[in-house]
Amino acid sequence: MNEILLSNQVLVYLLSESILFGLLLIAFVITFGILLKWDFGSYSEQQFLLERRAYLTMTILLFVFVVKFLLLVYFVFAIDSLSLLVPGAMCAAGVISANDYGMLLLFLKLVILFFLLLWMALNSYDLRAKNYPIFRLKSWLFIAIFFIISIELGLNFAYFSHIDTLEPVNCCSTLYGQLEGANPLPFGLNIMTLLLLFYLIYIVVMGAMLSKQRVLSVLATLLFVMIAYYSVVYFFGTYIYELPTHNCPFCMLQVEYYYVGYLVWGTLFVGAYLGIVSSIMEIGLKEERKKEQTSALILLSIFVLLCTAYVAIYYLRNGVFL
Amino acid sequence: MMKAMIVIDNLNKHFKSGDDIFKVLKGINLQINSGECIVLKGVSGSGKTTLLSIIGGLDRPSSGKVLVEGESISKLPDLHISHFRARKIGMIFQHFNLFDHLTAAENVMIPLIPTGLDMHEVNHKVEVSLKLANIFHKANSAAGRLSGGEKQRVAIARALASNPAIILCDEPTANLDRNNSLKFIDILSQLHEMGKTIVVATHDPLFDTLPFESKIIPMEDGSLVDTFSKDTLAES
Amino acid sequence: MRTSPFFHFLMLGFFKERKKHIGVIAISLVILFLLGSALFISSSIRYSLNQTLAWEPDFVVQRTQGGQKVNAPTAWIDDLLEVHGISKVTPRVYGRYFFKAKENSFLIVGVDFMDEQSNKALRMMMDETDLKQFLKGDNMLVGEGVSTHLKTHFYPNGYTFLTPKGVFKKVNLFKVLPKKSNLISNDMIIVPIELAREILGMGEDEVSDIALNVPNDDEWDNVADKISAFYYDIHVTTKEDIKKAYENLYNYKGGVFLILFLIVIVTFVLILYQRYSMVYSSERRHIGLLRALGWSIRDVLKLKFFETMMIVVIAFVLGVALAYLYVFVLGAPLLREIFLGGANLPNSVILVPVLDFGILSSIFLIYAIPFISAVLIPTWKIAVTDPKEAML
Ligand SMILES: Nc1ncnc2c1ncn2[C@@H]1O[C@H](COP(=O)(O)OP(=O)(O)OP(=O)(O)O)[C@@H](O)[C@H]1O
Ligand SMILES: [Mg+2]
Repeated sequence: MNEILLSNQVLVYLLSESILFGLLLIAFVITFGILLKWDFGSYSEQQFLLERRAYLTMTILLFVFVVKFLLLVYFVFAIDSLSLLVPGAMCAAGVISANDYGMLLLFLKLVILFFLLLWMALNSYDLRAKNYPIFRLKSWLFIAIFFIISIELGLNFAYFSHIDTLEPVNCCSTLYGQLEGANPLPFGLNIMTLLLLFYLIYIVVMGAMLSKQRVLSVLATLLFVMIAYYSVVYFFGTYIYELPTHNCPFCMLQVEYYYVGYLVWGTLFVGAYLGIVSSIMEIGLKEERKKEQTSALILLSIFVLLCTAYVAIYYLRNGVFL
Repeated sequence: MMKAMIVIDNLNKHFKSGDDIFKVLKGINLQINSGECIVLKGVSGSGKTTLLSIIGGLDRPSSGKVLVEGESISKLPDLHISHFRARKIGMIFQHFNLFDHLTAAENVMIPLIPTGLDMHEVNHKVEVSLKLANIFHKANSAAGRLSGGEKQRVAIARALASNPAIILCDEPTANLDRNNSLKFIDILSQLHEMGKTIVVATHDPLFDTLPFESKIIPMEDGSLVDTFSKDTLAES
Repeated sequence: MRTSPFFHFLMLGFFKERKKHIGVIAISLVILFLLGSALFISSSIRYSLNQTLAWEPDFVVQRTQGGQKVNAPTAWIDDLLEVHGISKVTPRVYGRYFFKAKENSFLIVGVDFMDEQSNKALRMMMDETDLKQFLKGDNMLVGEGVSTHLKTHFYPNGYTFLTPKGVFKKVNLFKVLPKKSNLISNDMIIVPIELAREILGMGEDEVSDIALNVPNDDEWDNVADKISAFYYDIHVTTKEDIKKAYENLYNYKGGVFLILFLIVIVTFVLILYQRYSMVYSSERRHIGLLRALGWSIRDVLKLKFFETMMIVVIAFVLGVALAYLYVFVLGAPLLREIFLGGANLPNSVILVPVLDFGILSSIFLIYAIPFISAVLIPTWKIAVTDPKEAML
């Protein structure tokens, strides 16, 4: 048996994901049954039964959402610890790129969490109304999520069973490093313009959220996530590592950097997700989502402050930039 | 002009057991005004409890409607019907239905928990309703240790805790001796004075001669027989 | 902090009916205890190994013939010193000495005590005066296991080795190596290098293998390639290889344990499902009453969920604490054999306490996720109890 699959953390992770999938399968069967027979106007016993069954789906999805979130952290942690077994890997970056499935898997995980959060928001709206107005919509969304999660489960097993412990992999220095002449940044940006965009879009996001320009805020937030990703990898990260050539989104998750990566990526993604989901809810359902909008604002601001602080502190301490 | 508190519109309820359909309530129409006291009288099996459950949002009709303060409660999703039960309905059950391992005060607290009030307000409301039901002195006794009459008063306090507009009583005196039954009627008249809408389901003859204005509605085999009030009877 | 009425009620119900939960907590404790102990032992061993390996040289060069390791000529040392990037070359002499009476063996390790660069760990164990004393006669340092073994065979102060040439060689027991390094040194005997050659029957110009250090990590692959090209019968092992081999071994043991443990988990889930279906059906009336009094399905789900979480957390904390005590305070009697078994002398390693996020989160996930999943459906079933149950 593959030694990767025998690593404790991988086993625990795969088992957890499988159990969640089992629960989701139950929820899927139930939801499908409900969708076929749902008729809210009816007084039949069956309709009341379906309404009660819908609560099982909700319970399962809430549980899955929370655990998936924890498992994402655990997943990153697990692949980070696997870097000991994979030759050439110094951090999660090397392990995740050990085969073609890794990056896709990580990306899917982020997508799934986004849609689960959207589902939660739709569900809470649906429950608060008196006639389940978007029951079908949220059910179809769940069915879509279920299919994505099925793919993710397959990828989980494909990814971990295809990590070669003999073949050396490339790690962050080659994956993210700036090779001579090649510019890794999108749209032909350089570091200065990237940073300019970073702060500019942040201000646009804030402005759009505060002035309730919902569509603009969704688009700006999406763009901000992308620009922020590159800014962290190619600029702010180097201040976290205090090494101008160290470009890596993963190393900062390690203990050497006080696990600050979890805070950096956590505030960015949770903030962006909350902002986007609540704006979508306001566009689609005309419903005030003040709490989520405020939380999104605060989280994104913490993210920007945190990144800026690393640069500022470095400058104050050493009197120069990297 | 009296405000209609509860309007029951062509209400039917049947239970299915296998292929048999057993009709328990048949085409019930009734309007209960705010502040009225209604006594549903009928033999065992006539459907009193079932009707009460549907009015209280504990059960659903098979067809027809129940409107409370103008809003239909019969098709509300669980979250809303539960909310309705918690705010609008005070329920007094035939068997007291207390949690025996909890104290009187803790029992009274139960309907207040889902309302989201803080501990301070909850304690205040518990105290007020225990005093109203004249059982405050037993607040910290385990409910299982109380006498039948005391249990009934705790049950009343619990029904009053969230200050509901409607009080529903199912056979409230079935497990009480005459003395305690009379005390119960005293409290009931107090509630009537407070302006609560009261519906009592019973076959206890004590309710034939209530010391306050009330409407007796006989029930027979799932239908309301006739509606007349004690006062109109006296007048004629 | 003022508690909310909800938590007040939760605690009331939980503690007044704690008898109901004791069974589940007890089973949980057993499971967490087993799991925690196993993971604590394996991670502690791994930690100690890494500690010990930190002293090990980066490379070991051996001579192989027909796939078997044979002694290498001392002439190689000079060739290796030529290679750019290598900072330190240490010839090593060691081998197994079989103790005839029982089928046990010791690992004889020869150390060049005059060489400044030789094993730092060893030098730290002995201060200067000791060293002079030690080198005066035929003395040896032995591991815990060896010492005990010798004592039980009535050699409390030394041992007379029979060299391959048929000569008896009496060596005094000078000191027992500290327990901390037992994982590797348990069956080890350390003697000066010449004495080791004598006992193992090696020639003056032979060494068992040669250790190298390469300070620049980036050069490792480079240097390894270069050395491999020197002779047709040379074999290079890096520290990373050893580390990985050990890592795999203990991962493997932990992994096999976890897979066996899956069976336990499945049983656990079935028991929980049964148990909670039963407990909850006895609570049906109570829940019906709560529902009649205005609790929504969501409120009941919340109550039951928090109740479950309390059990999970209580059992987790207690179970992990018990496992910690068992492994790190009591030294894990019985279970350690599974993980340390295979050594030919009874091993008395001290398990160094290691407690990190990885282990704790693994234990928590593999316990809590099956637990909550098993309880989810019974919980839902009870939460949707019809409020009219209270009227019956
Ligand atoms: N869940 C049910 N399934 C089938 N039949 C039911 C159900 N609930 C009630 N019934 C039937 O409906 C009829 C009316 O019951 P209900 O409890 O309303 O009578 P009641 O007037 O309150 O009687 P009592 O005075 O004995 O309390 C009874 O014949 C009972 O058997
Ligand atoms: Mg009845």
